[in-house]
Amino acid sequence: MDTLETRWKQFSAKKTAYLAYAKPLEQKVHSFLSFRPEAATAGAGPLAGLPFAVKDNIAVKDFPLTCGSKMLESLNSPYTATGVARLEAAGATVIGKTNLDEFGMGSSNEQSAFGATHNPWDVSRVAGGSSGGSAAAVAAGLVPFALGTDTGGSVRQPASFCGVYGLKPTYGTVSRYGMTAYASSLEVMGIASKSLELTRKVYDLMKGRDEHDQTSLDPEPGNTRQVKTIAVLDGLTDLEPAVEKAYQATLKTLRDLGYTLLPVHLGTLDYAVAAYYTIATAEASANLARFNGIRYGLRPVYAENPEDLIRKSRTAGFGDEVKTRIMLGTYVLRSGFQDQYYTKAQKVRTAIRNELQTVFDRADLLLTPTFPTRAFAHGDKSMTPYQQKLADKFTVTANLTGVPALSFPAAVEDGLPVGMQFTAPAFEEARLFEAAARFATVVGVPDCPGTSLDWSK
Amino acid sequence: MDIQELETTAALAQIELGQGDLQKLGDAVSQMLDNFRKMNELDTTGLEPTTHALVKDNRVRPDSVEPSHLADALVERSPELEDRFLVIPNVL
Repeated sequence: MDTLETRWKQFSAKKTAYLAYAKPLEQKVHSFLSFRPEAATAGAGPLAGLPFAVKDNIAVKDFPLTCGSKMLESLNSPYTATGVARLEAAGATVIGKTNLDEFGMGSSNEQSAFGATHNPWDVSRVAGGSSGGSAAAVAAGLVPFALGTDTGGSVRQPASFCGVYGLKPTYGTVSRYGMTAYASSLEVMGIASKSLELTRKVYDLMKGRDEHDQTSLDPEPGNTRQVKTIAVLDGLTDLEPAVEKAYQATLKTLRDLGYTLLPVHLGTLDYAVAAYYTIATAEASANLARFNGIRYGLRPVYAENPEDLIRKSRTAGFGDEVKTRIMLGTYVLRSGFQDQYYTKAQKVRTAIRNELQTVFDRADLLLTPTFPTRAFAHGDKSMTPYQQKLADKFTVTANLTGVPALSFPAAVEDGLPVGMQFTAPAFEEARLFEAAARFATVVGVPDCPGTSLDWSK
Repeated sequence: MDIQELETTAALAQIELGQGDLQKLGDAVSQMLDNFRKMNELDTTGLEPTTHALVKDNRVRPDSVEPSHLADALVERSPELEDRFLVIPNVL
């Protein structure tokens, strides 16, 4: 058990000191949409006494489940997601629900209907998204770990922005039961933490087949071998200079650690964002059809007829980004356009999968930056929602192909953390942990200024 | 995307767009569609579409009754109740 975990085990006995530490910090960062640290108990099991936070699009019984949307502002969940229930059974307690871009749609947390989360490293900057609240809460030392959801990079990108680990497990290894569906074929529950060991432990406790999710599966025993060769992208361009610097330093550290770096060309990477957003928005338009003011959601006081009620509910309940994505998804699925967009994207998805397989035939892992920039400023005009989508190019591949990936803290440049990403073949999470642990012996996890684990001080 | 296409799509998505939204969301949608069309540069002849990342075959389960205890908790969470009936706005 590492020191971080040992300290957090004392949480329920030191709540007063914790609250004195946490409340002013949380006011600055706004990582939580509901925050109930008072409820934590000592518990029993492998995670006994550990509090944790859960992204507010994952169900926890008797907590709100807003999904960052006005649509579900008043929803209180009647049940708990399987992944969360397994952690509770291991002795951990949920102490709050974290902020997110509405329904997980965004990379900055600025699309939350309840105000953006601020980066604990610099509150004038975004925490990333969509699991920005989870990553920020971990970086600020408000919880030892937090759950997020990763549809196209939503755990890894905020982890990179906040200087923590962010794991996106193999698709299906963690049940989606209790996760609010956005893009069902792409998304999986993920973990943010400053401790790699705790990330692995939480993943091991959450994973495995669940009768409530027909796509969940038991991880297949991989042909896990010691990591020796790491593929790196040939001709990587368009990185922010600080990220480029961190990337070069990471390559050097990995070489010094004895890894063989194998330059590879991924031609399909140029089409990954287009294929990802075509598929994600198509699935979103179907999944979000359930929010109609009848079965779920904001309901108008008056409507002319049922169709009018549904239109009024959706028009008032959804924010602009969600509407944009529903419109896109509706369009690419319209008769006459489906082959051109949706079917084409699914074929591109096959091409990406095939090409990634050729990389893993020759290398044990793939290394890329997690995101081309560090945390950007709130309202940065050069990072429009469109630019943010294009910048998802390194993260979406793991979602399209279902493979696991881990963002790890690689550097702090001018006061802001930079994350790098390892991607492994399906079910080879062990390789991610192994290489990241070796890297951490040289470059440790940074502590965010102004945060502490010793609440008595 | 032209205004008429946008309005048709919005109607299918059951979303009302005001004049400002038509411009703003229309631009965002068109920008992404231009990006999507880039996929045409990639030759995908002979490739089967991938619908799901790792699902190999259909999973079935025995057709047996399982208890569900959610019903009361769900009904209680309705914004307005009359006994066990959910009150909804008058829409006729």
